[in-house]
Amino acid sequence: MAFRPRRAMAVFWKDWLDLRKNVGLLVSMAVLPLVMVAVPIGMVWTYVRQPDHADLRTVALFYDPTLPLGASAARFLIDKSLTDWFGIFLVMPVFIPILIASQSVAGEKERRTLEPLLASPVSAAELVAGKCLAALVPAVVLTWAAFILFCVGVDWVAWPLVGAPLMPNTLWGFGVFVLAPLFAFFGNGVAVLISARVNEARMAQQLSALVVLPLVGLVGGQVAGVLKAGLGYYAIQGAVVLVLDFILLVASIRLLDRERLVSRWG
Amino acid sequence: MSIYVPPPRAEAPVQGGLRVRGLAKRFGERTAVEDLTFDVRPGEVFGLLGPNGAGKTTTVRMLTGLLKPSSGDAEVWGHSVTHDGESLRKVVGLLTEQPGLYDRLTARENLRFFMKLHELDESVAWSRAKHYLDRFGLGGREDDPCGSFSKGMRQKLAIVRTLVHDPRVIFLDEPTSGLDPESARTVRDAVAELASEGRTIVLCSHNLSEVERLCERVAVVRRRLLALGPVRELRRAGQSLDVRVEGDAAAFVPRLTALPFKPNVLVEGGRLRVMVAEEAQAPDVVACLVGQGARVHSVVPSQRPLEEVYLDLLRKEET
Repeated sequence: MAFRPRRAMAVFWKDWLDLRKNVGLLVSMAVLPLVMVAVPIGMVWTYVRQPDHADLRTVALFYDPTLPLGASAARFLIDKSLTDWFGIFLVMPVFIPILIASQSVAGEKERRTLEPLLASPVSAAELVAGKCLAALVPAVVLTWAAFILFCVGVDWVAWPLVGAPLMPNTLWGFGVFVLAPLFAFFGNGVAVLISARVNEARMAQQLSALVVLPLVGLVGGQVAGVLKAGLGYYAIQGAVVLVLDFILLVASIRLLDRERLVSRWG
Repeated sequence: MSIYVPPPRAEAPVQGGLRVRGLAKRFGERTAVEDLTFDVRPGEVFGLLGPNGAGKTTTVRMLTGLLKPSSGDAEVWGHSVTHDGESLRKVVGLLTEQPGLYDRLTARENLRFFMKLHELDESVAWSRAKHYLDRFGLGGREDDPCGSFSKGMRQKLAIVRTLVHDPRVIFLDEPTSGLDPESARTVRDAVAELASEGRTIVLCSHNLSEVERLCERVAVVRRRLLALGPVRELRRAGQSLDVRVEGDAAAFVPRLTALPFKPNVLVEGGRLRVMVAEEAQAPDVVACLVGQGARVHSVVPSQRPLEEVYLDLLRKEET
């Protein structure tokens, strides 16, 4: 069956309209970016406020015992925090599609709208494409908007110490424009798969949200000094997620097969 | 009592309409539908009857391309249910038991979504939709969210959605469920009109008086086909005689039921309702009563309501 972009766009159009009118979901979606932006700005501000505090050097030496004597511990910690925070920031493009996709797939089952939808000429691939777009576009746009706020905020509070713009740097630029869409696709794929297995949007959200735990665990490893994050480290993460995205895409198209959906939930 | 069940006939192939041959569906070990064979002509309203769990919904899902048959095949307006899923879904309209509307979207947005899925010219499709919206009393409510609609309004909007792409074959599952009598009548009139335009309509309903009013032919299914034929013919299969007698009508029952053709007899006050397989048995009934000294005031042959025929078929199937 030929893929018809117009039908995929119709699914995207409907889900987008539905999202715009879902105030509860919009509020949930807005909270996470605010936290993701406010917390690192607060951390940078703390270092900038007392850059010569003796304890900062102690902490910096814990992470890098070779830190030169004349180097600014505050500046070192700002750079380290921003690098580590990137791992946390990636939770956002994973989590937002989970919020949207679990509503849009499991929600169709809950509202009993699935059967009329499947009785239309839309194919499984068109349905997956439309639903993915409806979850990915808001997630990526929100991530980029949050990134702009983050850059402006960090540069503003760090200026008195650094005297130059810190952000955006190569790592964050690569992360936000290359990794974030891949991670968003991953979050969406997981939510679609789980939504196709459970009957309630809430349960789909709760189960899908568990996929952010490994990400948080990796950041924990960075903060504990076990893992050293950098461009190469995130590039490897990106490659792994790209492979997972492909697997999830194939599985989603298979799972959104009419027969399977109707006989299971119709 | 014996009921005449017209056997499924080998009907002439039809252009358009439905052609169902040996359709079956199994889910693992469980057989939901077995060996269904029937035709429905263009312009015909066809009733698909059966108790809950009889396989009506599975049958409709196979005929709308939602489920693949385990065996057999069907052509819906010339499109095979096993091979032509997409083109099939373009010519069918399905009204499901639940309206299945998007509550946060307005009526207009709900309809536009399906127009887009069917890749229709929206101005043409909207004028068709508007015609039905006005007809069903939803004119002026196009821009209200469906979540604010009553059950009846939701049902009517779902019917409009079913018709928005001008389908040639329409499957309606309990179309008047939740509607007030006036709205139900409007919907029935619309169904009759759609059929008069040459569309094929399959009506699944437990409202047998509605089926009697709308359908020319019905199929009674319980996993397999129990009966198939024109409503009039099914009702004639096993007529009843309404006999008004003087005195205690119940006293005549034992000898009546002992007649060679063993009719079922119901007593309703001074009336006897005697089920006979054919009108030719009426003189034997009258002779039996007169032989017992009954004073017979009137004998009126009447067709049984479809409901009675339907229930008898199911009872017979159970035994």
